[in-house]
Amino acid sequence: MDKTAPLPLNLILQELHRYPPTVREEYTRALEEIASTASPKHLEWWANHGLAIAQQTARSWEAAAEFFRTSPVVLPILSWEHFPLWAQGGYDLCQQSPALAVAYFRVGPACVPHLRPSRIPQWVGLGQRFYKGTWKSTALAVRFFEASPALLASLAFPDLERFVAFLERLTTRSYDLATECLALGEEVFPKMGEHREAFVALLSALSESASWREVKACFESAARALPRLEKGQRTRFLRLAEYLARSGYTSLSTFLVEASEALAQVDTSAHATLLSMAEALLAVSPEALPDFLKSAPAVLERITLAQMEMWFAEGVRLLRSHREAGLGYFRRETSRSAQVLEALSSAVELARVKDLMRLYCRALAGSQVEIASSQELVQKGIGWVDKEKPTTEGSTVYLPPVVNRYPSKEQNFAWYKVVATHQVAHLEFGSFAFSYQRPSALFKDLRPRLAPAQPPGEGAWLTDMHRFFALFPEKRLALDIFTVLEDGRLDARVQREYAGIRSAYQRVQQDSLAERPALEDLPAREALVELLVRLTLQRYRLPTPTPYLKEARALARLARLLARPEATVEDTAEATLRAYAIISRIPNQQLPQEQWQEQDLSQDQEEQEQQGDDLLQQVLQSVSPQQRREQQAQEQPYQSPKDVDYRGEFKPELVQLLAKLKQTGEQRQGQTSPAPITRELLEQLLRESADLEAEQGDISQAVGMFANNIMREAGIAQPPPVPAFGQGPLVHIDDEGGPLEATEPNTYLYDEWDFRAGDYKPRWCLVREKPMAEGDTAFWEQTLQTYASLVHQVRKQFELAVPEAFRKIKRLKDGEEFDLDAVLEAMVDKRAGLTPSEKIYWRRNKVERDVAVAFVLDMSASTAEAIEEGKQDAWDAPDDPVEYMLWLRSRRGEPSRRTYKRIIDLEKESLVILIQALQTLGDQYGIYGFSGYGRENVEFYAIKDITEPFSDALKRRIDKISPLHATRMGPAIRHATAKLEAVQAKTKVLFLLSDGRPQDRGYSREGVEKEYAVHDTHKALLEAKQKSIVPFCLTVDKNGHDYLKTMCADIGYEVLADIYSLPQRLPLLYRRLTV
Amino acid sequence: MPGTKRQTLYRELRIEEYVVRDEPFYLPQGDEVQLFETAYYQKIPVLLKGPTGCGKTRFVEYMAYRLSRPLVVVKPAEKDGPPVGEEPAEEDTPSRRSIPLVTVACHEDLTASDLVGRYLIEGEGTRWIDGPLTRAVRSGAICYLDEIVEARKDTTVLIHPLTDHRRILPIEKRGILLEAHDGFLLVISYNPGYQSALKDLKHSTRQRFIAIEFTYPPKELEAKIIEHEAGVSPEVAWRLAKLGEKVRNLKEHGLQEGVSTRLLIYAGKLIARGIPPRRACQVAVVWALTDDAPVQRSIEEVVASIFE
Ligand SMILES: Nc1ncnc2c1ncn2[C@@H]1O[C@H](COP(=O)(O)OP(=O)(O)O)[C@@H](O)[C@H]1O
Ligand SMILES: [Mg+2]
Repeated sequence: MDKTAPLPLNLILQELHRYPPTVREEYTRALEEIASTASPKHLEWWANHGLAIAQQTARSWEAAAEFFRTSPVVLPILSWEHFPLWAQGGYDLCQQSPALAVAYFRVGPACVPHLRPSRIPQWVGLGQRFYKGTWKSTALAVRFFEASPALLASLAFPDLERFVAFLERLTTRSYDLATECLALGEEVFPKMGEHREAFVALLSALSESASWREVKACFESAARALPRLEKGQRTRFLRLAEYLARSGYTSLSTFLVEASEALAQVDTSAHATLLSMAEALLAVSPEALPDFLKSAPAVLERITLAQMEMWFAEGVRLLRSHREAGLGYFRRETSRSAQVLEALSSAVELARVKDLMRLYCRALAGSQVEIASSQELVQKGIGWVDKEKPTTEGSTVYLPPVVNRYPSKEQNFAWYKVVATHQVAHLEFGSFAFSYQRPSALFKDLRPRLAPAQPPGEGAWLTDMHRFFALFPEKRLALDIFTVLEDGRLDARVQREYAGIRSAYQRVQQDSLAERPALEDLPAREALVELLVRLTLQRYRLPTPTPYLKEARALARLARLLARPEATVEDTAEATLRAYAIISRIPNQQLPQEQWQEQDLSQDQEEQEQQGDDLLQQVLQSVSPQQRREQQAQEQPYQSPKDVDYRGEFKPELVQLLAKLKQTGEQRQGQTSPAPITRELLEQLLRESADLEAEQGDISQAVGMFANNIMREAGIAQPPPVPAFGQGPLVHIDDEGGPLEATEPNTYLYDEWDFRAGDYKPRWCLVREKPMAEGDTAFWEQTLQTYASLVHQVRKQFELAVPEAFRKIKRLKDGEEFDLDAVLEAMVDKRAGLTPSEKIYWRRNKVERDVAVAFVLDMSASTAEAIEEGKQDAWDAPDDPVEYMLWLRSRRGEPSRRTYKRIIDLEKESLVILIQALQTLGDQYGIYGFSGYGRENVEFYAIKDITEPFSDALKRRIDKISPLHATRMGPAIRHATAKLEAVQAKTKVLFLLSDGRPQDRGYSREGVEKEYAVHDTHKALLEAKQKSIVPFCLTVDKNGHDYLKTMCADIGYEVLADIYSLPQRLPLLYRRLTV
Repeated sequence: MPGTKRQTLYRELRIEEYVVRDEPFYLPQGDEVQLFETAYYQKIPVLLKGPTGCGKTRFVEYMAYRLSRPLVVVKPAEKDGPPVGEEPAEEDTPSRRSIPLVTVACHEDLTASDLVGRYLIEGEGTRWIDGPLTRAVRSGAICYLDEIVEARKDTTVLIHPLTDHRRILPIEKRGILLEAHDGFLLVISYNPGYQSALKDLKHSTRQRFIAIEFTYPPKELEAKIIEHEAGVSPEVAWRLAKLGEKVRNLKEHGLQEGVSTRLLIYAGKLIARGIPPRRACQVAVVWALTDDAPVQRSIEEVVASIFE
């Protein structure tokens, strides 16, 4: 522009007439504003510069107008010294594209304050880097300037440069993506504070990596992730992500979200340490990092941060020696991982001690006690509401899912044991066996002399507890007293009978004493109930209100009596009557401090019980409904005492009710008597129940639900219809995820072998054992007819096998009897002067037939395949069993009526023939079918349980064997193995009959490695072998040879080329295996 | 010489070998003493039913004593072992009618010949030697076949003619029939606990005996037995009995058999000699009962609750 001489100022306006009027208008307005502060020389330069911009190209007048418009704002910021730098930048940009210049000048006022003047040309240069002459590149460059105010405000210039370099790199992949990222940057950077730099570095790393597509998602993820982290650790976290990106990790945005979510679950003070560990992991195996962070919250739930370092170190060690094992370890999928955690943790989980506790409790209680987590009882919704408290409903002892009260495992376990012992004591020492009529051991019984209140409705009292608690006008108080006294009785009894647990028990009692509220703070009546609590916790030196000293002594006497070994639950009831008579008379008023005095209540001067009639009068009065005491002034409403946590919840009335209901439920099923309890009656009972009254809050609406659930629990209400056989809903649990829990009846957990990790995934598969539905016997009879001659033949062969067992073995040195021939020979020899043979005995072959066998039948969808169809293209078949069924159907055309024979039909026929023959051998045998879908749904059907005798039901069940879903062989084999283990036999055989390779949802590694299933199956077979079971696999898969070699290494197997030979082959193989 | 091994087996057996001098300690659980006594005089064979170690053997010993007689134990199981016992005891006063007790512990290799007798080669010829059953039949002893189902099935051939009105023992090899002495009584024992279908007593055999059922003694009684047999304090005996009761609750839920009185006595004997109670119970009860580690742990917890 300097080529021509500058026009004098007065000519400029005229010159500008060649352009649209806005140019002139902007010029004039700006001139007015700056004229006063600028020298004529400067003004002239300014005007000429604008003109020069306008003159550049056809559309550059817009840029000029924008230049004039913003000049008055920019000028004061830059002053005349630096102003030309800015003006020149626009001029240069305009040469490339007026649009760029327009955008540039427009953001000038917002941008220049953030720029050192010397940086202005560099800034211009950044914009120019985007411009490649195409319209997309122009648009991006324009967007860059538009975004510049925000970017400059939030990024340091070098970071901006890095960001631009990043965007530029993106443009080589996609302009759209670059444009979107620019917008995201504009939005996100200002929020990101000091971590922008690290974030930009992360972006750069990403754009260079194969997973550049992730960048956009990362903006979002990072914005969500950072606030979850401890402030000081955010940059570090981004750096970690950057390294991860550089290492080739592909799901970075997921990582940002998940890892930060995980960190958010732990205390922020742990973040630094966890990130240090993560950094250490980078050097070993970056892949393990995401799983490690994700595992952190669960791990820290069980161990401390310091302990976690040890857990971590073990994982690193594994990673170094065996990568897969290490990866599995940090995913917490391996047994090793669980073991280390378990070893380090001081917490004790119920799941881990459940079996132990079950046997322990069964030994003590002498009944079939079950153990479950308290949560399960709450879920039943039958009146229990606390998920943490130990309790029992009469047949199951419920314990909190985890105990982490003490610093050591031993202490936590001891607590569990004390708590379980206390709950079992309710069963062992008869809390629920309370009888209203039965005399007590230590008291003059008052119960028979108290007029019983009218039972509700016409009928008799439903339970004895119900009848007992109905005596009291203030049920809640009565229940509180009864609970405390009975728990105290049990505590004393346990400590007397179980000297070994006494010290642990006392420690727990001691600890719970520390949590009691101060007696002096309580109003009088509550204080006396609390006093009772303390007395039963074996505290006899207690602050006592002097006005009620006599009462306190009487209570202490009751508590001491119940501590005697001969005390029964009826004694507790008698004591409750007496304690109630005492306490209910005391107004619930706060007592002044000076009325409290420490007393020793351990002994009594007058150990005698009060005169009978006197006492009766007192008690009678207290329980008379009219005699409900008037509330006095300053009297506070009565509050139950704070729970003694190790004693848990005790609901005597509800338990008796439940037991009674179950009894009538069973009777009804036996059709002996109609159930006398209607739902209405039950609801009424519940409403009156002291156990429910004791719960806080309004329970009136809950009563209906409780009643419903209780009736279901007792087996009275009609259960919801059972889903049709084999078509029950398939509940899905993610294949990731951790160990499962077997909460329902007839479910069993098994580990699964991960051959890559070289370790078991603990409690990985849930086997659901179900009875097989029954069809009719036609199939059985038809088969016997069709195969009549084969049946006969097999049977004869089997009969021959029996006497084989009793063959004589002759000419032994030692045996049962002389072998007469041999003796004669020997005699003759001797007489002849020869040395006679010593082998003159015989012995019976000791092998007696003692065989148990489990047939395990693959009931997977593929067995629906018609035999004629061959299996050439079976490898195109979809792996997913549901899809597979569809595929199969589509191959066959419309599923019309089945006329062809399926693999499974032949398997069934073979079984019929074999079973028929087995009857002659007298072997124990079980027949099981399995299928399922996913590791949490391994269906295991008992067609004939091994201990079950042969019956027509078996014939009917065989009929119902049909193809279902997938083939997860491992757990099925493990379960069959468990069945075999439970029976006694010298020879045990596990006979697996299948039609192809094992496959199931998630029964592979990363969804592709089919060997996973093969290896797990192999492992399961080896496990059986270790338990002295002979496993054998018979498969009808013609293509089976390749994987069978692996699956059945060291194990007998046979591939049947001609499936039609199965009926002959199966009995033959069986005979061979069991000789 | 050929067949030497066989020769050592019964050569020096004498019915009078093992004499009970003192009255065996026995606490009756019910009316079994009276029942047995009556059965003896009425010549009715007796089946003692019950788990191992609950006092069946002791009961027979006691009855043999009560019916006032010395006693012999024969252990054919140890075929290669030295002959059992020494010289006959002298205390056997002729004034008392002697009813010996012949006890045979049955095992799966025990055959009819082991009970009846067999020919042995001696010098140029052979010699017949009586088995324990034959001796018992001859001398009018109580013959106690312990764990009868363990024996081979052919033994029942002998039992049948002995246990009906004929009371004879056929000795096939010698071609003779032996009529039982008046004092002879056959007593067998049988543990219904761990029978598989293969090892069950046939009905035709069972129905020749009256059956006296034994269970583990109730806690109080068992405590007294332990106290006496192990020489422990009543307190320790009571705790051991309690342990017995609790462990027996686990039968079928992890244990095939409850703990026997015998084992509890062993534990008591260890404790009496200064072994810490928990340790004593571990070796005498827990480990003796099961190899299943989780079950062991559970029982150990029970032990730990009962003993300090
Ligand atoms: N009723 C009892 N009286 C005395 N001792 C008994 C009684 N029951 C069992 N015992 C003791 O138990 C031990 C084992 O009993 P034993 O007779 O050998 O059992 P079994 O023959 O039933 O296997 C005996 O040695 C004895 O010490
Ligand atoms: Mg015995």
